[in-house]
Amino acid sequence: MIRVVSQAAFFTLFLYLLFQTHFTGKDYIGRVEVFFHFDPLLAIATAIASRVLFASFILAAVTIALTLVAGRYVCGWVCPLGSVHQFFSFIFKKGKLLKPRKEEKSAGRLAWKYYILIVVLVGSLFAVDIVGFADPLSFLYRSFATGIIPWFARVGAALIGLFYGLKLSSVGDAAAQFFGTLSLNQTFQQGFLLSLLFLGAVLLNISKERFWCRYLCPAGALLGLFSRWNVAKVRVDMDKCIKCNLCTIHCQTQANPYPNEQWRSSECVYCYTCASICPTKAVYFPVKKSPEKIASVNLSRRRLIFTSALALVAAPFFKITPAGKRAAAKLIRPPGALPEPKFLQKCVKCSECMKACPTNALQPALDEAGPEGIWTPVLKPRIGYCEYYCSLCTQVCPTGAIKELTIEEKVRVKIGSAWVNKDRCIPYTLGRPCIVCEEHCPTSPKAIKFVMVETKLPDGTTATQKAPVIDLDLCIGCGICENKCPVMDDPAIYCTSVGEDRSEKNRLLLETVQPATLVEEPKDPYR
Amino acid sequence: MKDLALGSVVLRYGPSLLAQAKTSPDMAIITGESPAAITKEALAALGGMKRFIAKGDKVMIKPNIGWDRTPELAATTNPEVVKTLVEIAFEAGAKEVTVMDNTINQAQRCYARSGIAEAAKSAGAKVPFVNEFRLKKMALKGEWLKEWEVFTDFVETDKLINVPIAKHHSLSRLTIGMKNWLGAIGGARNQLHQKIDEAMVDLAAFFKPQLTVLDAYRILTRNGPQGGRISDIKLQKTVVASIDPVAAETVAAGFFEIRPEELAYLGIALKRGLGQTNLEKLTVEKRTV
Repeated sequence: MIRVVSQAAFFTLFLYLLFQTHFTGKDYIGRVEVFFHFDPLLAIATAIASRVLFASFILAAVTIALTLVAGRYVCGWVCPLGSVHQFFSFIFKKGKLLKPRKEEKSAGRLAWKYYILIVVLVGSLFAVDIVGFADPLSFLYRSFATGIIPWFARVGAALIGLFYGLKLSSVGDAAAQFFGTLSLNQTFQQGFLLSLLFLGAVLLNISKERFWCRYLCPAGALLGLFSRWNVAKVRVDMDKCIKCNLCTIHCQTQANPYPNEQWRSSECVYCYTCASICPTKAVYFPVKKSPEKIASVNLSRRRLIFTSALALVAAPFFKITPAGKRAAAKLIRPPGALPEPKFLQKCVKCSECMKACPTNALQPALDEAGPEGIWTPVLKPRIGYCEYYCSLCTQVCPTGAIKELTIEEKVRVKIGSAWVNKDRCIPYTLGRPCIVCEEHCPTSPKAIKFVMVETKLPDGTTATQKAPVIDLDLCIGCGICENKCPVMDDPAIYCTSVGEDRSEKNRLLLETVQPATLVEEPKDPYR
Repeated sequence: MKDLALGSVVLRYGPSLLAQAKTSPDMAIITGESPAAITKEALAALGGMKRFIAKGDKVMIKPNIGWDRTPELAATTNPEVVKTLVEIAFEAGAKEVTVMDNTINQAQRCYARSGIAEAAKSAGAKVPFVNEFRLKKMALKGEWLKEWEVFTDFVETDKLINVPIAKHHSLSRLTIGMKNWLGAIGGARNQLHQKIDEAMVDLAAFFKPQLTVLDAYRILTRNGPQGGRISDIKLQKTVVASIDPVAAETVAAGFFEIRPEELAYLGIALKRGLGQTNLEKLTVEKRTV
């Protein structure tokens, strides 16, 4: 019971921090990403992949220390994804969809997660950051940011529509204001697919209780390794035991409390289900040193070698992509993103930046950044633009893949460059006034200036209009021009990544290759 | 008894009514150091807010909150001007005062950084975000815009006060009160640039505010309509309150040394009979506080 309260509390904290990950009225929002820093898998994998330990991950030491001493309490009592799985396992059990078996024959599957861990770590050695695909927190945050929260926002919108339909407009107003304050992003490419993956992970609980935690979770596997020597034991008092086997049948993670010598310390998450289900109260929890020999998951040496070899062989495949050879035009990274190879080593695809983005501009990449870069953030100006006085994505990145920036630093960062497609631009082609792009350009002086252009019209007359031209020294690539361009389908002004500060190769004009810190305040053309 | 009541009503309201009938000017141009004080004085010079607001009225105040900029950068209406107007509106007997705008940058940001949300709320106004569900396609019956999606908040109100700020704009040259109505509508606003002057006048003719209170405390002289540097602004330290929106626009144009004939949209507005550009036809009260 206390455990359920603990799980509910941490899950609520997770939700609270996630919903706080947006513009709350202040420019700096504090460490809403703190959950990640307690995750030793992310700490170790990104440290190996990038050859640097990100300072915030020092908190992971707390989790490691706790697990070394007391076992995998974190999995059973804290992990919000674990809570999700346990909740649905409970529901599926109640619904008789999930029936625990008397004889659990699938103990071999317990080893899967250790193999996944090996793949993740060997990948890291080769600077391929696979951890983001498999880490429980990355998975949970990504699913919520790009799937569950947009779903919630749409349900909200439907409800608001219903209120207005029922003439309850004051309720509708209140609800609309409430959702407005939450500023939830609703549009994500691959959002449907990412939601399906989450749904799949939840449905796996029909097959086995806490399927993810038992068989798949590499973070759980890592903690399992650490828990080998812990002093918190689960024991059955054989004087009281009636050998009903209920404890082992209902064990959430197949840790086998009965018989005593087969209890798997590495699998136990201390959920206390065994104790509460025992009809004779025979299960107790002594504190003592581990015996010489303890029951553990059978990791066959042959398979360990095989998996390591597989990962060794597979890692270079991730690098077979033109992404490393030549920057992709449409790969606009968030401001403060590290140079691409470093960025890929550190980004754990958690979508925190996408949740924080005020305009929904950051989207999970599909093919823009190569296979390693799937689900890493990419800025899509047609969906949203980079808000000038905003550095939220840089603040919430848990691994430092996006370097934390102050607002003053951020407004100087160039993430790309804007280009005019004169064939589609209204003044250039149609001879009509527009220059919406110039109006929205946030820099001062504006990076979009205009020239007077003469356009031959179909009737043979000539129109003269103000038409946009780009001053690339001033353009920061924020994409608001593309976003607001009235040519809806294929905007007449668009941004590409060229000229981005973070890259030494993806450059354009020699004059603009100074490091950002050396760029002086742009000369005032009005003086 | 009846006479007595009537007598007391006359005593209570008579003097101010008579005074208004005699001297109430059409426009007040007030200069001074404090945005709040000059706003207050401008309304007093027009004969008090009671001239525009009846007891129990629902009042909508429409400032420019379009951009994510601080008040010092003069891209958005001065928050003290807005706050003072909210206070005066309540003093005049308004039941409810709402302050809102359809922003260009993220609404939450514009409302916060402009200082307007906090200022208006502290004076008791409601400061909601615009709400897509309140958008309604309405017949504007304009010369160019026949119909457009309008936020009904700005229509379903007893009194409407336009509180723009005076700024430079690359297409219409200036963006002041008439262009401020682009913040009361939804839809594809970016297409209105194709005939911006006509669009501004059509919207101004549709919304017809009871009062225009023009914030020219700081004016944005270049890089409009959002500026970005202190050097883009000029301190004018003026508030113009006017029952004639065209005249207010004319006065503001003067701050930029632009004659009304140079502004295409003012010509159209004049032709449509929305007001005067010849200030000599109005009674104007000028004061310094």
